[in-house]
Amino acid sequence: MTGAATDEQLVARCRAGDGEAWNALVERFSRFVFAICVRGFRLGREDAEDVFQDVFAKTYEGLHKLRDDAAVRPWIAQLTRRCCIDRLRATRETPEAELDEAADEEALADVELALDVHQALERLPENCQEILDRFFARDESYRSIGEALGLPAGTIASRISRCLDKLKAQMEDPASVERPVDG
Amino acid sequence: MSYDIEQLARLLSILPPAPTGWVEAAQTLPQLRAGIDHLVARAGEDAELRARIVANLESALAESGIAPTPHALAEARRRLGT
Repeated sequence: MTGAATDEQLVARCRAGDGEAWNALVERFSRFVFAICVRGFRLGREDAEDVFQDVFAKTYEGLHKLRDDAAVRPWIAQLTRRCCIDRLRATRETPEAELDEAADEEALADVELALDVHQALERLPENCQEILDRFFARDESYRSIGEALGLPAGTIASRISRCLDKLKAQMEDPASVERPVDG
Repeated sequence: MSYDIEQLARLLSILPPAPTGWVEAAQTLPQLRAGIDHLVARAGEDAELRARIVANLESALAESGIAPTPHALAEARRRLGT
């Protein structure tokens, strides 16, 4: 998880040469870029890795040209789409006429929504972030989560349920109160 | 906007972490760029050195403190115009 700085603040700090801010920016958008590659364009692992590195290289080079720092998210999304299409073009497995339709727009819309949810998750208490991310995004079992977090496996389901309720509240009302979930 | 729990659970599962190595490689881009800038500058000042760097790029990168990953090698070749 990547702290509370806004996208705009992170971009400004990156532009000033702050290495920690660059690390945080990569961390913040890494899942998003990865998901666009593998879900939105169904790239294989090798192609996805090349596109992933290319996107962040172009992000690093292009940050100083960004007109609106707060618009870094749609800019990275567009950059990733272009890099995916370039990759498909380079592999010559997709006919040129079909490149414009290579994206699964429904999957890409889901990725955008998923990033909204992920950002809301980052505003929850740390224990909720950890348990929801491990269970849903990392696909870990109750047993594995229990061992990692030092919790009885029998309490994991109820904690997940309470944290999902908090996430729902956070999505519907971002000003909802933060309070650790226990028991 | 109203969300149901099942929808949130599904959306959470859509963003798994990118592979750790990919993230770390992207995070080291500034150091990589700086290292390659330095290497390219040195190569530009000395034709003999440039020839040695081009002939053994992996070692040249490693000696400059840059891990000679495929991405680093490709970037160095691009910058050296080879």
